[in-house]
Amino acid sequence: MEEELMESDSVEVSSSVQVLGGGPAAWATVSAALVDPESSASEQCVSEALAVLCTSGLGRRLGSWLLNRLQMRLATAVAPEFWAGLEQPENELEERDRARVLLVAFHTLLEKLEPFIGGLEMLGRWQEEGRCGLSGPGTRALQDRAFTIIRARLLFSPPAVLQRRVLEFYSRTFSVHMSQEGQAGDGGAEDGGPEDGGTCPGCVAPVGRCWCQEALGQLQELSCILSRLQLLEQVSSEAVTSIMHTLLEQRMEQHCRGEYERSFLLDFQEWLELVLGWLARVFASTEEGATTPQATGAPGPAPGSMLQQWRRHMHQFFCRVYVNMRIEELFSIIRDFPESKPAIEDLKFCLERTNQRQQLLASLKPAFESRLLHPGVHTSDILTVYISAIKALRDLDPSMVILQVACQPIRKYLRTREDTVRQIVAGLTGDTEGCIDLANELSRADPVTLEMQDSEDEGSDPEDWLPDPTDAVKDKTGSKRRSSDIISLLVSIYGSKEIFIDEYRTVLAHRLLHQLNYNTAREIRNVELLKLRFGESHMHFCEVMLKDVADSRRINTNIREEESRQGAAAEPQTPPPPPPLALSAMIFSSEFWPQLKEEKLELPPLVSQAMEAYTHRYEKLKAMRTLSWKPHLGSVTLDVELEDRVLTNLTVSPIHAAIILHFQDKSSWSLEELSAKLGVSKETVHRKLALWQQHGVLREEAGGQYSVLETGSSRERQERSVLLIDSDEEGDSNTLFWAYIQAMLTNLECMTLERIHSMLRMFVATGPVVTEMDVNELEAFLQRKVREHQLIVSVGVYRLPKAN
Amino acid sequence: MSSQNTDPAAAASTAALKGSEAGGSATRGSATKRLQQELMTLMMSGDKGISAFPESDNLFKWIGTIDGPQETVYDGLRYKLSLEFPSGYPYKAPRVKFLTSCFHPNVDEQGFICLDILKDKWSALYDVRSILLSIQSLLGEPNNDSPLNTAAAELWEHQEAFKAHLKSTYKS
Repeated sequence: MEEELMESDSVEVSSSVQVLGGGPAAWATVSAALVDPESSASEQCVSEALAVLCTSGLGRRLGSWLLNRLQMRLATAVAPEFWAGLEQPENELEERDRARVLLVAFHTLLEKLEPFIGGLEMLGRWQEEGRCGLSGPGTRALQDRAFTIIRARLLFSPPAVLQRRVLEFYSRTFSVHMSQEGQAGDGGAEDGGPEDGGTCPGCVAPVGRCWCQEALGQLQELSCILSRLQLLEQVSSEAVTSIMHTLLEQRMEQHCRGEYERSFLLDFQEWLELVLGWLARVFASTEEGATTPQATGAPGPAPGSMLQQWRRHMHQFFCRVYVNMRIEELFSIIRDFPESKPAIEDLKFCLERTNQRQQLLASLKPAFESRLLHPGVHTSDILTVYISAIKALRDLDPSMVILQVACQPIRKYLRTREDTVRQIVAGLTGDTEGCIDLANELSRADPVTLEMQDSEDEGSDPEDWLPDPTDAVKDKTGSKRRSSDIISLLVSIYGSKEIFIDEYRTVLAHRLLHQLNYNTAREIRNVELLKLRFGESHMHFCEVMLKDVADSRRINTNIREEESRQGAAAEPQTPPPPPPLALSAMIFSSEFWPQLKEEKLELPPLVSQAMEAYTHRYEKLKAMRTLSWKPHLGSVTLDVELEDRVLTNLTVSPIHAAIILHFQDKSSWSLEELSAKLGVSKETVHRKLALWQQHGVLREEAGGQYSVLETGSSRERQERSVLLIDSDEEGDSNTLFWAYIQAMLTNLECMTLERIHSMLRMFVATGPVVTEMDVNELEAFLQRKVREHQLIVSVGVYRLPKAN
Repeated sequence: MSSQNTDPAAAASTAALKGSEAGGSATRGSATKRLQQELMTLMMSGDKGISAFPESDNLFKWIGTIDGPQETVYDGLRYKLSLEFPSGYPYKAPRVKFLTSCFHPNVDEQGFICLDILKDKWSALYDVRSILLSIQSLLGEPNNDSPLNTAAAELWEHQEAFKAHLKSTYKS
């Protein structure tokens, strides 16, 4: 501006001398007409004066002069007054008054500036009409210049108070607008201001003094003034943006955080529409301005497009905030997956509109590492989360790149866990409660065969091919290999399926060995399902194992029949043979079964004879084959007949049976003798004897002798046999009791019998077996532990021996 | 596995202002159930070197025992801890502190432990067993960047001296 003035000055210097004649008076008339709307000078008068000025060439200077005046006024009077008006005694005022002050300040501003704007307009009109040969840039350009000056002078570095006030005012009108719209829209459920509280939900003033309408009126007025001064954008944008952003963030925080089971897109769409209604009010006057004649051709974008711009901006902003929040929560979302599907879908929608995949990956990987991949988490839990992650991320990103990249750490970590394979296999066969997902996945229709080789003719339509996203991991295998099939992904953790098949074989062997009832329906189903996955050839061994079981059953029946036929044939002449040993065998093809645990056990002659007989029959049945017995595996059902009582239908392990069988020949054995007879270490024999002691069948006597208790005199033993049914190592109620007792003594140092008893009653969770042990039983149990040097007792207080 | 970190009972009680008492007792009830379950798991797991048990008939206060990890200066030492569970457990972390005085960079004189999973990194996925395991591994691998006990942090560099100091000050 300054420059231009200088320029025009230099132009005028030469001519100014000639015009001095009628100049000053004419100048005064014209300038007065321009600046003071109430000027008394008649149109006629002004025209004449203007003509004078034009002839003297001063007409051209009018524009510059007027602008210069404006600038001076602004700098010296208007602007300081405006700021002073705004900063009126700030603290004492209520919000409502502050709003009024704001409006008044802008009013005054407009009033002071109006004459100049009017003057410029008039001058512009003259220029456009070319009145008296006047020429110039015209209204539009003059006003543009004036507004630039106003903006520069007023808002170059505005005090913070302006933003503060404007922000406050807009926030208020916003909440007024929202509360009204909300009530109109859905019966006040929107912001839910309690009516009974006596405050208006919009302006938070007591209902009697509600100034909602006033605020809206003020808003409209302010918008009018601002748009008249073309300050709307400058003054409002910042406040509006910050209000929008804060509110959106707040709303998101309140409604969406932690809530994954509902989609929020529509909600927010509706909400944004409401917000845009308010924006339309803020920018309303621009719309009206378009209709008022004086502002025709006013610069600035059309109001509709401005709203459009805001809409786009808000939408974009919503997506970004939403993505930010969900990225933070992604771990929890994944963990909750099937329930959190709506959140994943929302996130997918928004993620496609913001460029935040990298951010997502950068946050998810560490989240996995810090929350999942450490020693405190069970492998089965890690697997469960991994499976959820697979499901969630394949929904989120069908290209599977996020899945592949983000889960890399999980896969790497799982490789370091010893029990990963076992857990996966257990999951696949539905053994564990935790991973039912896997069993379901396995029995899913349309299984994906785990072909590790690349199959070129995948059969997918080349038209459907999409390039990888740019963040894909560059590997040789390319996108084809990025499988989303849960089982393939799990199995490929180790890169080979053999490991899994071997593990499954072990599990299957264990299962078959332990049930011993030839019932294999479930296993057959599993094997069939696995065959679909892993291919026939890999499951061959398992099939043979199952076939062995079926064959065993047949052979067994066969041999049994033959036995009974022979028995019947032999009966007439010979005395009845020794009580028959009903022996049934499980016959395994050693080639196909995993290595079985080898344990030595010499069986009593009665049993081994029966076995030999069985072997003979088998050899007759199957030429060129023989049996090699595993005496320690299996189970024995037997009755123990004592002088005064009979224990029936006890099912015990072969070694237990072997021990008790020896007592049939001789009623007292020493540990050494038994150990030698059975070919088993003394410790094992000692441990196994415990069962019979608990049953009250055997008794330990001085000098390590064990003898049969033919007359079980006390009832107590009968009771105890119910309680202490089996103390095999397999984790029964006794070992559980012992674990509790050990734990309480470890932590609480020493306890009396009564205290231990009450603690056990309190904390041993109710299992199916035994929940209570009466004090006497407990004492007996503890005494036994004392004898075994696992416990120390002194003056009625038990403690654990010092750790060695 | 669903919604591990949000307490369903608490959410319900805020949703319905009425019956907040019922909500509270439900929270406590679920915490009790969980603690019983954890006790059972802990008993069955048979982990060596860590152990814990309720102190009295109050299931919300436990005593824990940790053996110093092998091949660290703490090898052969045994530490007692107290664990207090809030009624919002497992959505809120338990308060854990050493009862045995423990000379360690991340343990202060009152026995308070600086361990992220007990504070901001707490997750309902953790349980007593994992807390004890984490503390046990913290013994051998202190975080010397944010020590509570600066003397211990400085001495840590000199393992022999640290061990000597430890042995001379250890009181079981």
